[in-house]
Amino acid sequence: MTATATQTPPPAAPRAAGGKGGRTRLSVPVILLIVAAAIIVVSAVRAIAGADDVTSSGQIAGALTGAVPIALAGLGGLWSERAGVVNIGLEGMMILGTFFGAWAGWSLNPWMGVLAGVLGGMAGGLLHAIVTVTFGVDQIIAGVAINILAAGVTAYLAKRIFNVGKAATEGGTPKQSPPIEDIKSFTVPGLSHWLSTLEKHHWFLISDLAGIVGGLVTNISSLTLLAVVLFVATFFVLWRTSFGLRLRSCGENPVAAESLGVNVYLYKYVAVTVSGGLAGLGGVFLAIGTHFYLEGQTSGRGYIGLAAMIFGNWRPGGLAMGAGLFGYADSLQLRSGSDSVHALLLLLAVLLLAMAIWKYVRKAYVSAGFALGFAVLLAVWYATTDTVADEIVQASPYVATLLVMGLSAQRLRMPKADGLPYRKGQGG
Amino acid sequence: MRRVSKIAAAGVVSAALALTATACGSSTTSDSGSTGGSGSASSSSSGGGGKTKGVGMAYDVGGRGDHSFNDSAARGLDKADGELKLDSKELTAANGETESDRVQRLDSLAAAGYNPVVAVGYTYGTAVTTVAKKYPNTTFGLVDSVVDAPNVDSMVFATEQSSYLAGVAAALKTKTGKVGFIGGVQNTLIGTFDAGFAQGVKDTKPSVQLTREYLYKTDPRGFNDATSAAAKAQGMLDKGVDVIYTAAGLSGDGSIQKVAGKSGAWAIGVDSDQFQDPALAKYKNSILTSAIKNVDVAVYDLINSVKKDNKPKVGTNSYDLANNGVSLATSGNFLSDVQAQIDAAKQKIVSGQIKVSSTP
Repeated sequence: MTATATQTPPPAAPRAAGGKGGRTRLSVPVILLIVAAAIIVVSAVRAIAGADDVTSSGQIAGALTGAVPIALAGLGGLWSERAGVVNIGLEGMMILGTFFGAWAGWSLNPWMGVLAGVLGGMAGGLLHAIVTVTFGVDQIIAGVAINILAAGVTAYLAKRIFNVGKAATEGGTPKQSPPIEDIKSFTVPGLSHWLSTLEKHHWFLISDLAGIVGGLVTNISSLTLLAVVLFVATFFVLWRTSFGLRLRSCGENPVAAESLGVNVYLYKYVAVTVSGGLAGLGGVFLAIGTHFYLEGQTSGRGYIGLAAMIFGNWRPGGLAMGAGLFGYADSLQLRSGSDSVHALLLLLAVLLLAMAIWKYVRKAYVSAGFALGFAVLLAVWYATTDTVADEIVQASPYVATLLVMGLSAQRLRMPKADGLPYRKGQGG
Repeated sequence: MRRVSKIAAAGVVSAALALTATACGSSTTSDSGSTGGSGSASSSSSGGGGKTKGVGMAYDVGGRGDHSFNDSAARGLDKADGELKLDSKELTAANGETESDRVQRLDSLAAAGYNPVVAVGYTYGTAVTTVAKKYPNTTFGLVDSVVDAPNVDSMVFATEQSSYLAGVAAALKTKTGKVGFIGGVQNTLIGTFDAGFAQGVKDTKPSVQLTREYLYKTDPRGFNDATSAAAKAQGMLDKGVDVIYTAAGLSGDGSIQKVAGKSGAWAIGVDSDQFQDPALAKYKNSILTSAIKNVDVAVYDLINSVKKDNKPKVGTNSYDLANNGVSLATSGNFLSDVQAQIDAAKQKIVSGQIKVSSTP
C-alpha cells in the first residue's frame, strides 16, 4: 500500500497542488469572512431598499428548493465529466427520474419512488455509457439523443400507464401522474419558531441571519438532506480515495491510467451510470416536490445543472455555489418579482464598486474604470426607478448565472481528456 | 481553454436542438385515437371515404388530461362522440413548437378528411387562417381567438365575466384584505382573466389589495411549470395574501397545493371545476371555486352543427354568463354565505348594467 503510494502518484500530486497554489487558494477562515461580509452587505441593502424578502426564511427555503434539482444534475455531470465523458443527456436522465419516481412513488411509496427514479436515471446513464464508451459515439450527439429518447419514452409510457384503470380514476392523465404522498421533512423544533419571531422584527443583520438560518432549519425535505450528504460523499470519494483518483485519471489522461493498469472502460461505465442516477434523483426531487409527474416539468434544469458545474470549475463546492446562486435568483424573481430584483440592482452596484476598488489596488486601472462605470450606471438606474421591467425580472436568474460565469471563465480548468474519445490500447 | 468554450457552445446548441426536437417528438407520440370516452373512438380511422371521417382535434400544450380547458374541449368531443359515434383523431401541441408545426398539424387533419377540425387555443389563430383558406369545404373551430373566414367558427369566451365573479368571491372571502392573481403567460387571453378578476375585487371592496403577477412574459412553458407556480404562490402567501386565483393551466396544480398548505387560505381554480379533479382531491377543501370556461358546450355545438344539422356553425360565437358559456363553480359549497352577492353581480353583468373590461 505505502509502496505503491510512493511510487507513482506523488510526482503528479505536487504539480497539481502547485498549480492551484498560484491561484490564491481559499482557506476556511477566508471563506467564512467572505460569507460574513456578503451577509452584511445583503442585509444593508435589504434595510436601505426595504425589500424584506431578500433574506426572508421563505426566500431561502425557495432558493434551496430551486437549487437542489440543479445541483443534483450538476453533480451527475461532475461524476461523468471527471471520468472524461461529457453528459449532455442529464436533462433526459432527469426526465426518466421524474417519471419512474412518480410511478413508483404513487403505486408504492415515496421512498420506493426515490429508488425507482434513481434506477431510471441510472438506466439512462448506462445507455449513455454503452453508446459512448463501448461504441465510441460522439458524446454530445449521444447525449442529445438520450434527451429526445427520454422525453419520447416517458410521454409514451405515461399514456399507457397513467391514463388507464386505477391511475386514471386517481387523477392520472397522459401528462400527469396520480398524486404522490409527501416525503418526510424535518424542522428543528424550538429553533425554527424562535427564529421566525426574530425575523419578524426586521432588525438589521439579526433578522437577516434569523431569516437565512430559519429557512435552512424549517421544513427541510429528506431529499435535500440526502443531496447534501451526496455532495460531501462525492468530494470524499473522488478526491480522497484511490478509487476517485483512478476515476479522475480517466478524465485527465486515460492512456496514462491504462498504462498503470486502470480499467478505464470500467471506471467510465461506473462514473456515467452514477451520473445518471444523480440526475434521476434530481428528477425525483421535482416530482415529489410537486407531488406529480408532469410532462415537461424539468424545463431545462438539466442544462442549467451542466452550466452550474462548469461555473463550479468541475468541483462539488463550486457547483453547489453555482446552483445556489441560480436557485436564489430564481426564487427571488418568482416570489416577489420586481421589488427584490430592484434591490438587487443596488447590491450589484455595491459589489461592482468593491471590485473597482480591488482592481484599483491591484493597479488594473482599465478594469477598475469599467467596474466603476457600471457601478455608477446601476446606482443611477436604482435611484431613478421604483421597479424593474418584468422581462428583466424573469431573465434575472439567467443573467446572474451568465455574468458570474463570464467573470470567472478565465479561471476554469476542465478535465484534460473531457469529451475526447478513448479506445483501449490507443496509446500504443 | 478553447475547448471549454467549444464544449459550452456545443452544449447550448444541442440544448436548443433537443428542446425543439423533443417538441416534435412528443407531439408525434401523442398521435393516437381518443383515449377516453367510449371505445368506438379509438377504433382505426380506415373506414370510408375522406368526407365521412369524424372530428379532428388539435389541442394546445397540455392536451387531453390537463384538467383544464383542453380537457373541457375533450369532454365536448366525448359527449358528441357518445351520441353520434364519431371516428376522431386527436393531436396535441408540445412546448416550444413553431408556427409551421401548428399549420402542419391542422393541415394533416384537414387533408385526412376530418371535419370539423377543432383547434383548441389561441396559439392556433394564424395557423387556422392559413389552413382554412386551403380547405374551404372543411369547417374549422377555433377556441379563444377570432379568425374572419367563411368556414371558421371562432369560439370566444367571456372569461372576464366569470373572473369578475371570482373577484367578487375573493373580495368577500379574504380575511387579510389581500388577494392575488397568478397568470401563466402575460398575453391578451390571460389578460382577460386578470382584468375581470381585478374589476370584480375593486367593485366589491375597493380596500382589498390585489397582487397580480405572471410566471412568464411570453414563454408558453408557463402553462406547465408547476414548480415555479408553487414558488410564486408561496411568495404571495408569505406576504399575507389569502385568496389566490391562478390562471395558468397545469401550473395551477403547484399553486393550489401551496395554498392548501396554509390554513384559512383559498385557491380559485380556472377553466374546469378543479374541486372535482381527482388528482387534486387532497387539496379540494382549499379550492374556493373555479371560473369555468365551458369549452365543451362550444365544441359540442360545433360538432353537432356539422355532423347532425349539416349547417356548420361559423362566424364569431360568443360564450358568456348569459348563455352559460362561462360560469362560477359552486361545488364544495364554500360560497354559500356570499352566493346572494355573487348572483346579484351575475344578474348585473347579464343585464348589461356592469360592463366588464377584458384588458387589464
